[in-house]
Amino acid sequence: MMSDQDPVVGIDLGTTNSVVATVRDGVPRVIPNRSGQPLTPSVVAVAKNGKPLVGSLAKRQAITNAENTVYAAKRLIGRRWGSKEVEDARRVLPYELVAGPEGNDIRVMLGGRPVSVAEISSQVLAELKADAEAWFGGPVTRAVITVPAYFNDGQRQATKDAGRIAGLEVLRIINEPTSAALAYGFGKKLEKKVVVFDLGGGTFDVSVLDIGQSVYDVVAVGGDTYLGGEDFDRRIMDWLTFNFAKENGGVDLRQDKMALQRLRDASERAKCELSGTPTADIHLPFLAAAGEGKAALHLTKQLSRDKLEELTKDLVERCIAVTEKTLKDAGVRPNQVDEVILVGGMTRMPRVQRAVRDYFGKEPCKGVHPDEVVALGAAIQAQALAAPAAQGGEVLLLDVTPQNLGIMVVGGYFQTIIPRNTTVPTNQTHLFTTVQENQTSVRIAVLQGESDKATDNELLGEFVLAGIRPARRGEVAIEITFDISADGIVGVSARDVDTGQEQSINVTATSGLTEDELKRIIDAHLDDQLEKKQSSADLERARARVAATVDEIEGLVPAVQKALERSRFGRDAVQKAEGVLARARLAQEGKDTDELASVAEALDRTLQLFKGLAATPPDGA
Amino acid sequence: MTGDRYQGQLFNPADLAETAVLDLERRKAILFAEAGLPTWTHWQVLGLEWNASTEAVRAAYLDQVKFFHPDRYAGMKLGSYRGRLERVFRRLTEAREVLTSEAQRAPYVLATAPALEVTRFEARRLEDERRSLERRGRLSRQNPLLARAERITALMRHGRELLAAGQFVQAANDFQLVSSLDPGNTEAGPLAAAARKKGVEARIAECLEKAHAAEAMGSWQGALAGYRAALEIEPGNLRALVLASRAALEAGDAGAARGFAEQGIKVQPRSAAAHEALGSALEAVGKKADARKALERAVEIDPRLDSAKERLKKLRWSFL
Repeated sequence: MMSDQDPVVGIDLGTTNSVVATVRDGVPRVIPNRSGQPLTPSVVAVAKNGKPLVGSLAKRQAITNAENTVYAAKRLIGRRWGSKEVEDARRVLPYELVAGPEGNDIRVMLGGRPVSVAEISSQVLAELKADAEAWFGGPVTRAVITVPAYFNDGQRQATKDAGRIAGLEVLRIINEPTSAALAYGFGKKLEKKVVVFDLGGGTFDVSVLDIGQSVYDVVAVGGDTYLGGEDFDRRIMDWLTFNFAKENGGVDLRQDKMALQRLRDASERAKCELSGTPTADIHLPFLAAAGEGKAALHLTKQLSRDKLEELTKDLVERCIAVTEKTLKDAGVRPNQVDEVILVGGMTRMPRVQRAVRDYFGKEPCKGVHPDEVVALGAAIQAQALAAPAAQGGEVLLLDVTPQNLGIMVVGGYFQTIIPRNTTVPTNQTHLFTTVQENQTSVRIAVLQGESDKATDNELLGEFVLAGIRPARRGEVAIEITFDISADGIVGVSARDVDTGQEQSINVTATSGLTEDELKRIIDAHLDDQLEKKQSSADLERARARVAATVDEIEGLVPAVQKALERSRFGRDAVQKAEGVLARARLAQEGKDTDELASVAEALDRTLQLFKGLAATPPDGA
Repeated sequence: MTGDRYQGQLFNPADLAETAVLDLERRKAILFAEAGLPTWTHWQVLGLEWNASTEAVRAAYLDQVKFFHPDRYAGMKLGSYRGRLERVFRRLTEAREVLTSEAQRAPYVLATAPALEVTRFEARRLEDERRSLERRGRLSRQNPLLARAERITALMRHGRELLAAGQFVQAANDFQLVSSLDPGNTEAGPLAAAARKKGVEARIAECLEKAHAAEAMGSWQGALAGYRAALEIEPGNLRALVLASRAALEAGDAGAARGFAEQGIKVQPRSAAAHEALGSALEAVGKKADARKALERAVEIDPRLDSAKERLKKLRWSFL
């Protein structure tokens, strides 16, 4: 089969940075982006001139274009409009959020147009896909994408949709900590109990795994989808704005989006610096106007590591509390853990490392690259799914459900049917009875979450079982079966035990986008990509042409020089030609086909001139 | 894998021929495992001997899931084999779950024990029990501490038997004795109290029963004596007070009847029956206005009290 030869990739779609990786010749490796960097910022923007920007280009202009630069989209993906998390995010994000057409999902205002969060993420994925295609020199269509272990079904589905929009067949959505463990154990013969402590840009995850015989058996997962590096940055920002206001007569920097963006950057930089040094200087000149006729205000401040640790003490404590709960779920004591793997940029912070060491009573593993390990693991799983056992695949991942799955029962309570941390694929059956006299139908609301109250949990879908035999309440037995397949699709069926009447649904949690909307977006993106591909083909042709002409000209240079030594004409020809060649080199690095075309013309003229000069007979004109 | 492995298995040719993606041996192995699911024990599902160690269970599980997990065949057109794989995998996971769980393993081991093992186990248990009894007897003869413990155990058992037989006072005595022998015993104290309480209740019930019998015979004096006996045991017993008031009235002692009724109201101010009894007593001594008030109070508390309503009607008539 041809498709088996196609390369597959693993993508770590992060809150702040994303990474793409693959397995080549049996070795997992990160694919650098087209600027040669392993990390691509998860930032999408529309520039002032209307041009869409992704990655470091988007990040670089964030300060001057804060309203139209979307970062940390992962914090919003698959969330409901009006939820607490979204309301919190709205307060701190410089870009505008609006409700989607159904009123239950979120759209981001980007370049004056409401865009779904899945589309924003898809642009990052498309960028990574293009990077991978440039690296492979061929199409890349299949990927495994990672999400925080604690993501619910809606967030996973939205991430999958983002992949589809980007033109990727998403082989599997896997959990980041599991992925990290895959990369950690790859190629080693391990029999170990491992804990992955993953503190990234926006989310915190813990997983407990049993590794043996290349089977990665996830025992328990836990986490907090709203705890990460950005929360640490915000603590520094708050401290800076508070002190700035105090020192400058109450100037509130939060009113100024550009100042906020600069503060955010400076805070992140200071935080990173403090992982290596005891103090960091924050210097932001001309940060705010002081009022008419007065000189602009500068911010100069020194932040010590101790102060940072004091500002973020409770965040670190929250991490340890979540870890404790997860270990309890797994039935594992801290001293029974053989290895603790640190993942995510935030685990570089010495205080975090110290907290982990104190809790487990052992030194955490330093053997993995915290930024790259998740993508590498995803690549390994992608490989395992693309070339399964029959073709010699090695690793096998046994994952679990991150949250309780169940239905709403009488009184608005939530009845768990598949408890969290159950190995998938799985199925469970529960018997329920009717609650009203002569009830002939029941509405079954499928939910996911940790609360006893149904309304506090995420609604995955609803359906009605009709045609129930009329009887006294409590007399009719209804059997409800939950089924989760290996790729995480939740199926729910309800059956009247007496009449055999049956109803079922496949819960494809809504990402906020309807199937129609999704199709439309995918089509539009296909056009875009086709256009891009076409233009990239044009670009390649133009570059090849320029390169050939440059070679030819350079080949003629010695002959021309020889000819010029004997001639009074065209003394400056070589100098002029060098100017043209320099311009050609610049154009080759860019992507502007028009510029390449005009350079090609100039080169052609030079070539003609050179050919003429070189052909001049030795005896002169 | 040899053909012998599947001896006794009749493969459905349609199932076997269904997909060519998997080789024949794999197809046979999957069909064989799936067919076995309903009858096999968790041990058999994992391919283990009965009572294999937890470590062996874990290792066997890893071995088996490497073969039966659907991901091992990702991207292949498996047809009905995908469902079969999932079913086998789920059962493997369940088997591992049960056999490695501290709580579930022991009962499962017992429930699935082969007959020979059960007999052997039972014989060993009986033998152990006999020996332990013998040993304890020997020790108790030698050791005063153990003898006391033995005595306490015997008393507790005896007390419980008495309690069950309804001999509450004797039971309370036994428990009391245990409490004094072993002040640290947290069980005996409450048991003694409970037994005593039950004893009191039983005695009251007995008195009331005697009084009822006297009433039935028309002996109001006898009934009154019974109620008085009950009130001696528990002066605040509302039921006894109300019944005593009625009996006194019938016996012609309206003053006593009034006394009983008033005491009843003191114990339970919202007792309609007590107010009614008071009303009757007052009527009998000729205090009609007070009687009416008491009866009205009784009807106010319990509007369904027809006898009081009737009496009240008559009282009202007399004023017209």
